[in-house]
This record gives sequence, C-alpha cells and structure tokens, in this order.
Amino acid sequence: MTVIECRGLTKDYGRNRALNGLTIKIEENKITGLIGRNGAGKTTLLKIIAGHIKETAGEIKVFSERPFNNLTVSANVIFIHDQMNLPTALNLMEILEAASSFYENWDQALANRLFDYFSFNPLQQYNGLSKGMKSTFHTILGLSARCPLTLLDEPTTGMDAAVRKDFYRALLKDYLAYPRSIIISSHHLNEIEDLLEDILLMKDGKEHLHLPAADFKEWAIGIQGKTGLVHEWTKEREILHTKSMGPDQSYVVVRNDLLEHELQKARATGIDFSPVTPSDLCVYLTSKSKGGIDDVFNKD
Amino acid sequence: MSLTKISLLSTVKKQYRYKLKAYVQVFMTLVFLQLLAILFTLNGVGMAGSSSEWVEVDVHYYSADIVVFFTMMWGFITAILITTKAYRNDDFVFITNRLSSNLSNLLFLLTASIIGGLTALLSTYLIKVIVYFFVGQLTIDSTNVVSAPVELLLGIVAATFYIILFSALGYFVGTLVQIHKAFVVLVPALFFGSLFLGAVSGYEKTVTNILGFIFTEPSILLFIFKIIVVAGMLFSGAFVISNRLEVKQ
Repeated sequence: MTVIECRGLTKDYGRNRALNGLTIKIEENKITGLIGRNGAGKTTLLKIIAGHIKETAGEIKVFSERPFNNLTVSANVIFIHDQMNLPTALNLMEILEAASSFYENWDQALANRLFDYFSFNPLQQYNGLSKGMKSTFHTILGLSARCPLTLLDEPTTGMDAAVRKDFYRALLKDYLAYPRSIIISSHHLNEIEDLLEDILLMKDGKEHLHLPAADFKEWAIGIQGKTGLVHEWTKEREILHTKSMGPDQSYVVVRNDLLEHELQKARATGIDFSPVTPSDLCVYLTSKSKGGIDDVFNKD
Repeated sequence: MSLTKISLLSTVKKQYRYKLKAYVQVFMTLVFLQLLAILFTLNGVGMAGSSSEWVEVDVHYYSADIVVFFTMMWGFITAILITTKAYRNDDFVFITNRLSSNLSNLLFLLTASIIGGLTALLSTYLIKVIVYFFVGQLTIDSTNVVSAPVELLLGIVAATFYIILFSALGYFVGTLVQIHKAFVVLVPALFFGSLFLGAVSGYEKTVTNILGFIFTEPSILLFIFKIIVVAGMLFSGAFVISNRLEVKQ
C-alpha cells in the first residue's frame, strides 16, 4: 500500500518557494530517510503530510486522503519536531496521559519504560527541560504513539551522542516489533544510514534521488590517482565532485556505472577506487556550486 | 499497521476533557480577578447620604456588579487567549482538525462561562460576610437564598449568558487577529471609533440601540434567545475564518 503520494507538490511562503513540484511515492512499513541541506524543503514537506499547512499547488494524498484538516490523517500520523507546543500547565506524566487518551495504539508501558530509562522526573514541567531532554521527550511521544505513519523531523536536535545512539536503537527495535511507516529527517546521515531502507534526497524543494539505501551506497564511486590519469578517466562521465589531494593527485567522484573490466584496467594504471559513503554523497549531490568552501578562500 | 478511524464527536470529547485540564490557569486567573473585584466592591458600589443638624445617614450599596463585570472581561480575555498560537498549536500535537479544535474550544468556553457566572453571583454571599464582619455598620436589607431562590438562579443564568456573549466576542476577535495582525489595531479602532464618531456625527442613537438590544432586554427568555443568536453568529464566523488557518511555529 502506498502511504504517501505527491504529484507536483508546491508550497509558497509569500514570494519564497519552499517546495517546487515534488513528486514522490512512499510505500508502507518502511523507514525512509529524508535528507537535504538546510532550506531544501524537508520540514515543509513533513508539515504538509501532517496536515499542518496547505499545499499551494499540486496534489498530496496520505492514506489516500488529502491531509489538510483531515481527522483520519491526524489520527494516524504523529509529527515530532523540535518546536512542538506542549501544554505548559501539565507536568511530563500528565502530558503522556493526555497523549494516551488521544492515540488508540498508545503503549503506556513502553512510554513508562522509556521515561524511566532516560530518567525523567514525572512531576517536572516541560518548559524546564533542556533542549536535548525536550527532544528525548518528544521521541518518547513519537515512539509510544505507534501511529501507522510517524514523522520525525530532526528528532535528535540537542541530544548527546549516547542518547542519540539509544534512540536509534529504540526506534529500530520498536519498528521491528511493530512495523510501520517512519520518515526521519536528519543531518546525521552517517548515524542513521543503517536504520534506513529508503533514502529520499531533496534539493531546492524537489526530490533529487529516491533510492533504497543499499543502492545509494553503490550509486557513486570515488577515483583517486595522478591528476592527468584521473582526468583521462572521467572526462566522459558525470562528475559529482572534484578535489585536489596535493601535488598532481586528484580525487573525483562519478556515477558508479563502470564495468568490471574497466575497473581492472584502471587499477593497473595506478588509480584507486573507493566507495563513497551516503552522507558524503549527499553533500556532493546537494552542493550548490562547484568546488567547496576552500574555493571561497582561494582568491587566485 | 491498520488505520484508526475516529469520529469527530469522540475527538471533540477527548479534546474537551484535555482542555479542562490543560487550561487550568484560566480558572486560577478567575479566582484572582474575582477576589480583586470583591476588594473593590468593599467600598460600596453605590452610596447615598443625607444629614441634618443632628443625624447623618450614609447608605452604602453592596452588590456583585463589579465581580460580574470583571468576570465578563475575564471571559473576553480567556477567549482571546485560547485563540493564540500557543494554545491553538497545542491541539496539533495530538489528534485534531480545525473543526474539532474549534468545537472543543466552544465547549470549554461555555463551561468556563457557567463556572464564571456561578462563582460571580455566589460572591454576593462572600461580600455580605466580609461586610458583616469587617466593614461593620448595620445591614438593613439583604436577600438570601431561601427568601429569593429564583432571583439568584436568574442572576446566575443572566451572568452566565453575558459571559458567553463576551467570550464569543473575544473568540471572534482573537480569530480575526490570527488571520491578520492588522486586526490588533483595526478592531479597537473600530470599537472606539464607533463610540466617538457615533457621538460626533449624530449616530449615537444607533450605537446605543445596538447595545440596548442586548443590555436592556427585560424578558429573560428573549434575552437568552438574543444572546444565543448573536454568540452563535460570532462563533460560526470564527469557525469559518479559522478553517483555513495554517499551523505556524
């Protein structure tokens, strides 16, 4: 079953276009990583899916319904983000109780165990929590609600490394026990890439690549060697990234469509091939200009 | 995972129960405001006096008028408050759509109005006790529940409906402000403008007639009917204009 389907989805904020004709399809019971640079439109897409904001043009269907102002979508989607407005009058335990009264699949036992594990004080006020603790508390809400579609927008903002690791593990375990569709947006792709089944890379309000994570790892390849040789090798190919590695040494990233005999021939001439990690690949694919930050400082 | 189907009614019920708990500060404000109003009342809401060479008579009137007035203002402000971003976005953490959010707000405001009306009228007795013990002097005339139960009930009903009217007004104004910030200036300008310009341009009759339509209605049933119609219009207006409102952080 298709959980989310968008066609030509566009969203304008005043004169600023946040989404620009996005067309995607997300299948049921998958963990999808939503990756993109700041301002690529990740949060806007999630807000539209959650029904918080209305699309300007195009079409979006969540569970085959339009999400804006839709009770069924709201009942089956939980949207966790770092600017959540939780009631200030309730303490943490009361917030969990309120959530449990709303969500039908809510697992109070899980919520309590996570609550204890991350050593929250039940009587504490939400506003007194630190940034990382707030994020942790949000993720407890997100996991315990067991919604068929869970949207996590930068869920690890402010968390320390230990908590992040725990959270990823908790997410994976709960997902395996209760498979559901999860979309997680994050800047730490290297941390979450093992969780993901699909990667959706966004650029300038559009989908750029939507691939299974396994394919993503082999989508590109890094070539390193003498500059002349490397250039010879890559001149017919689509170059994603180039970097000078010192005198007469170059590193170039290209689409991985080389054949086995080509690889062997190249290795014989002294060229090294290396896999490109998904997080590096995302940086290369979404870079706004050729070259890197180094070029800003190279005036000549 | 299978989809959950949920009815509007059950969502509104859940949200209403949740709001009674989450908006508890509203009632703390009510207690504070009513105590303040009682303090102001202790000076007497009205006074008459006469004196001759030998005798001087001062008559002070005490009533819950100020308390009711303060509670009406409280209803107005509370309604504006729950249309603000902080409160409106609370709903979107959990299950909601704009209609269920508005309906549960309406139920909450009705409940708050009843509590406000009840406590405002019952404050009469607190005022009497305080006057008796601490302000002293002689109490000449005083109604009590046993001698005039119907009057008390009518008072509570009338006060409650006034508060409902004011909270409907507040809810409408608050929602307008959520649509566009310009209404923060426009609404007061319109209100005071109509008062002053009405007086200057000879339309004061119209203005007073509009106010008199509600505030001088002698029949309680007609009064209730008028308020239900006006408040209903204000609430439905607010529902319609907020139905396309986006969640902004």
